[in-house]
Amino acid sequence: MAEVKIRALQKAYGAVKVVHEVDVDIPDGEFVVLVGPSGCGKSTLLRMIAGLEAITSGTISIGNRVVNNLPPAERDIAMVFQNYALYPHKTVAANMGFALKMARMDKAEIDSRVARAADILGLQPYLARYPRELSGGQRQRVAMGRAIVRNPQVFLFDEPLSNLDAKLRVQMRSEIRELHQRLATTTVYVTHDQIEAMTMADRIVVMREGRIAQQGAPLDLYDRPANTFVAGFIGSPSMNLLPGVSRGGRIEAEGLSLPAPDGAAEGRRVIWGVRPEHLELDPSGIAATVVVVEPTGSETHVVLRIGGHDAVAVFRERHAFRPGEVIHLSPRAGLVHLFDEATGDRIN
Amino acid sequence: MFPRPIEQASPAAQLAYKIALPAALILWLLPLLGVAMTSVRPASDLAQGNYFGWPSALAFDNYISVFRDSNIAQYMLNSFKVTIPTVIGCLILSTMTGFALAIYKFRSNLLIFFLFVAGNFVPFQILMVPVRDLTLNLGLYNTSAGLALFHIAFQTGFCTLFMRNFIKALPFELIEAARVEGVTEVRIFWYIVLPLMRPAIAALSVLVFTFIWNDFFWATVLTTSAETQPVTAGLSSLNGQWIAAWHLVSAGSIIAAMPPVLMFFAMQKHFIAGLTLGAVK
Repeated sequence: MAEVKIRALQKAYGAVKVVHEVDVDIPDGEFVVLVGPSGCGKSTLLRMIAGLEAITSGTISIGNRVVNNLPPAERDIAMVFQNYALYPHKTVAANMGFALKMARMDKAEIDSRVARAADILGLQPYLARYPRELSGGQRQRVAMGRAIVRNPQVFLFDEPLSNLDAKLRVQMRSEIRELHQRLATTTVYVTHDQIEAMTMADRIVVMREGRIAQQGAPLDLYDRPANTFVAGFIGSPSMNLLPGVSRGGRIEAEGLSLPAPDGAAEGRRVIWGVRPEHLELDPSGIAATVVVVEPTGSETHVVLRIGGHDAVAVFRERHAFRPGEVIHLSPRAGLVHLFDEATGDRIN
Repeated sequence: MFPRPIEQASPAAQLAYKIALPAALILWLLPLLGVAMTSVRPASDLAQGNYFGWPSALAFDNYISVFRDSNIAQYMLNSFKVTIPTVIGCLILSTMTGFALAIYKFRSNLLIFFLFVAGNFVPFQILMVPVRDLTLNLGLYNTSAGLALFHIAFQTGFCTLFMRNFIKALPFELIEAARVEGVTEVRIFWYIVLPLMRPAIAALSVLVFTFIWNDFFWATVLTTSAETQPVTAGLSSLNGQWIAAWHLVSAGSIIAAMPPVLMFFAMQKHFIAGLTLGAVK
């Protein structure tokens, strides 16, 4: 086990920079999730940690050892690929034991390690099967087993659940999380799914266009997003954002007067944000027209039009709204976010 | 499903199919059938001008005579001495060149690959004189080794093209996964890539075996004596030996044609699709 330190890391393909000056510290045993839309550089960052991609500048160290120029084999890491990359001509047991066999480990030791990993992952009945005879979830587990048996310093996961169906994904999510609690190995996990990031991470690193938009504990990101990008990316349905101008302690937007926290100078152009789940019915609140009502069972999503903007409100109660109806809403006290309109950075 | 099964076509199309298919087959196999017929024809038939009619008797002892009265056993042995080393040599070289060109990114990768491919476009007849001089100077003229070496050199280009494209189609994550696991490059080649190349190796070995076994041009250019000539060149010399002994030449030809056919059946079980099934996704 080891900590991972990333300092001023850059990656360029010719003149095109895909990762800019990234700094991340991952303490020993932490589960860090790199999240962002496709093309944000998160997979490239992971592949640089793995050694599969060359570093343009900056340093990566694993356990106090700079690994910039070490081949993947010498970094003592294990990686789980999006498409699993199982050796198709080897059985499950041989897949898991292959690296150990190549390291000339004692046969009995290999068998016991494979058996232990199979035990953890519930793969004992499948040890003699070939990958083609397994289901997607089982293949996923074999790929994880292959990582576990080597007892590496760092686990790297590259969107490991994106090929699974929704139900299995939720199940594997908690399995991976449980595995981490059991093994406490430093883990870097890449995903584009913010729910995966929120539910699994000790710490989330949100990336955008090769830069870190914000990093922190999942709930910190949810409670205090540093900019409009993170505000919109974390949370589902995403935060309602309305552009406006600060006047007399309130925000004027679209002919509406919105309650505002302190922090915005008079006349400043801002973006006013509130999460759908933090809007509640209030006869003296903002007028909003109901567009669509989407019941999910546990809660109801109501798509609204506030001024000229679309917004969403989430209610746990079952209101009988009809499309076209005008309702009045207010944000809960202290749960309004203000961002600068030009930079998108948080103000309050 | 495409193509649609013939059962779903119109009755007229089905009828046309049922007539055209055997007709095409017979046309295709006619020369071979002719040789096969001649090979069991008694010499007297040929003397009487019965070239294409029904044989008056079945003379299977033509097959014994050809072994007894000619050097065909020696020629066959010579053919094996050229063909087997060529197949092995080409496969060893081309699996490695193919691996290097498919897996590693280096500056002149494409250029080297195109050189291998371009080599195939050189009409081999123009190489006749220089290659003959080269083998002569190397002291390999009129030896099985010289012929095999030339074939290895000339076939490796095509084999490299074939192997490189095959390896390129394997999921690259397999290589990356093995690298992350700490497996050295040589072992990745041996334990991961080579087992997955079985169908390609089987296909190429049949192809190269057939090419080389049937080669007549280089056999006549580079070998001259009964001790070294492969069966293709040897058979043509039978012609001179017995001017009208077509029944023996035919029997010899049938025997000479057998090894590539047997090779095909021996390798057939390795022509399997979907070897990488389950590797990814």
